[in-house]
Amino acid sequence: MSNEILENLKKAILEYESEKAANLAREALEKKIDPAKALNVMTEAVRQVGDGFGRGELWLPDLVGAADAMQSAMPIIQKEIERKGMKVETLGVVVVGTVFGDIHSIGKTMVCTLLAAEGFTVYDLGVNVTAEKFIEAVKKYKADILAMSALMTMTAPEQRKVIAILKKENLRDKVKVMVGGGSLTEEFAKNIGADGYDPTAPGGAKLARRLLNK
Amino acid sequence: MLKGFTRKFKPLEILTEEHVEAIHRGILDVLQETGVRFESKRALKLFEKNDCQVDWSNNQVRFPPALVEECLRKAPSSFRIKARDPKNDLIIGGNTVYFEPGVGMQTIDIDTWELRTATRKENYDGVTILDALDTVHFLSCYCPYFGFDNVPSVMAMLESVAAKIRNSTKAQWSGYQGREVFVIEMAKAAGIELLGNIICSPPLTYYGDGVENIFRFIEAGFPIDVCGGGTIAGATGPATVAGSLIADGALNVAGIVLVQLIKPGTRVIVQGGAGPQNMRQGSPAFGAIGGSLHNVAYNQIFRHYKIPIMDAGCYAGSSKRIDYQNGYEKAIPAVLAALSGANLIGFHGGMYGELSWHPFQAIIDDDVAGMIGRFIEGIKVNDETLAIDLIEKVGPIPGFYLNKEHTRKWWKKEQFVPKVADRLTYPEWMKTGKKSCLDYAKERMDEIAATHKVAIPLTSSQEKDIERILKEARKYYKEKGLI
Repeated sequence: MSNEILENLKKAILEYESEKAANLAREALEKKIDPAKALNVMTEAVRQVGDGFGRGELWLPDLVGAADAMQSAMPIIQKEIERKGMKVETLGVVVVGTVFGDIHSIGKTMVCTLLAAEGFTVYDLGVNVTAEKFIEAVKKYKADILAMSALMTMTAPEQRKVIAILKKENLRDKVKVMVGGGSLTEEFAKNIGADGYDPTAPGGAKLARRLLNK
Repeated sequence: MLKGFTRKFKPLEILTEEHVEAIHRGILDVLQETGVRFESKRALKLFEKNDCQVDWSNNQVRFPPALVEECLRKAPSSFRIKARDPKNDLIIGGNTVYFEPGVGMQTIDIDTWELRTATRKENYDGVTILDALDTVHFLSCYCPYFGFDNVPSVMAMLESVAAKIRNSTKAQWSGYQGREVFVIEMAKAAGIELLGNIICSPPLTYYGDGVENIFRFIEAGFPIDVCGGGTIAGATGPATVAGSLIADGALNVAGIVLVQLIKPGTRVIVQGGAGPQNMRQGSPAFGAIGGSLHNVAYNQIFRHYKIPIMDAGCYAGSSKRIDYQNGYEKAIPAVLAALSGANLIGFHGGMYGELSWHPFQAIIDDDVAGMIGRFIEGIKVNDETLAIDLIEKVGPIPGFYLNKEHTRKWWKKEQFVPKVADRLTYPEWMKTGKKSCLDYAKERMDEIAATHKVAIPLTSSQEKDIERILKEARKYYKEKGLI
């Protein structure tokens, strides 16, 4: 029975069924299924989609579909894990968002999905995220990595601002910062004091591993 | 007045009348049932005063269909826009076709094809080249570059307008995010009109600083470009062309309604430029043929509304080099835009979206625009061009046409002769260093830089005014902490 629910949860993500995935996550908890197991099958499903994308067999709508399905089920499971004070196996905690003034979400969503597929615990703050919200989330989730996206030249400097606040709050040594987005360059990333930059989403996920030596 | 080109035959129509009606109904329905979000109190109040239903909790406006149709009727079907030299005034609408350049965040190093920030000189020389190119009729906002060396981003638009006023007498457009206050002043100092623009953000949204500016432009008596946010089919609009036409159309029509409510009869041009999403990288698929499917249909719909149209789908392809791909991804959409009734086509010099611009590309594009222009001028048919008497007089071989007066009189009118295309015979080409159109573009660029002067330089008092306005703007943004 519990295997069937977990199989269906995985299938719901592989078939991009957000509502179904959320319902199955709730059902799993009602049936006292170990939330860590639920988390595993969800990660496995996203990994399959990420791999398919990497091989060129799947496309962005697939990646985003899987991301949405996972996002709808994830908070339910995560909440239970937190409630039980369980330790989950993770490569690290990544807080991700598109900076203030910028509402571009595609690149950020791609990175979130591929990070989750790699095995990171991802907190997606969405778009138009203020510096204060980034800092708050880094503290709250004890992030190992802060990943910021900015598509536009005009919003890219917001990343510098966040890094400055991290320093001010004595958080800079506790969290690695990676940046990405259409208007960014390696030089800009170095210039603002980020730990890493990659021009692609799959590259971003690999970069996160390197930053944590995983 | 600049003549530009005139399409002398029926426009290309991709939709049936029933299709156009279905899309029109869709647009009206979306506007009435779902409406459009406007993040501007001033706009919302105006909508409410004119019987639109405003939901103040989410700033969404629902439009009565009768009001929408009335506003579409109030927009003039063609209009003049004033340039610094009256010879360069444009009359936009009907079957006229003008071109304007593409724009780039940066320039390209032609040896490495890598991006770098343009210098001040490159920006000013770029404007000079655009002033010299006959098929550039209008200057786009931020052309050729969005910014250049040592210009704070908040000053980029203002410096761009100043460069265009100084180095060209052609008409131009510009102004949003509060910069309009200064650029309108500059336009007045130079005695020109600026095409202002209202900027939408699909799906179905207008943000404040893309809207508030047009109140100022309209107050100044200037025309407005209702700037398509470039709906991306499959990302910011439905993946189907028909659906994205409705989503994009509804957004632009809402913009036109606002313009006509602010001041009925205000001159507007509507800007199309949607296209599909690149489903691998997540960027727009610049130069994709799906963009042309959308834009050709879009042109048909807005011709139906009798609103002049700007087609922004030909600015650039996806290639990072000036190469075959960049050629076909720009030329095919531009041909289709011209055939389907676009009145203004964004074209010269742009590469990879709006990320880069290069003068060589602009010079090559001058030839392409010339070819397209020649094509849409069509075929002159009269007794003299039919040349029946001549054909009968010349007869079969050894009859010959090269030495005839008819040939001398007509060939230049009939042919378009490109300026930088390689048309040499093979032996000549081998002997002259195997040059390509890129080599010839560089030669032409050097020649323009050495010889072209702006027809009417600014008077010293106009120049003083421009410098004063720039100074005031720098002071203002410094005080705001933006410089």
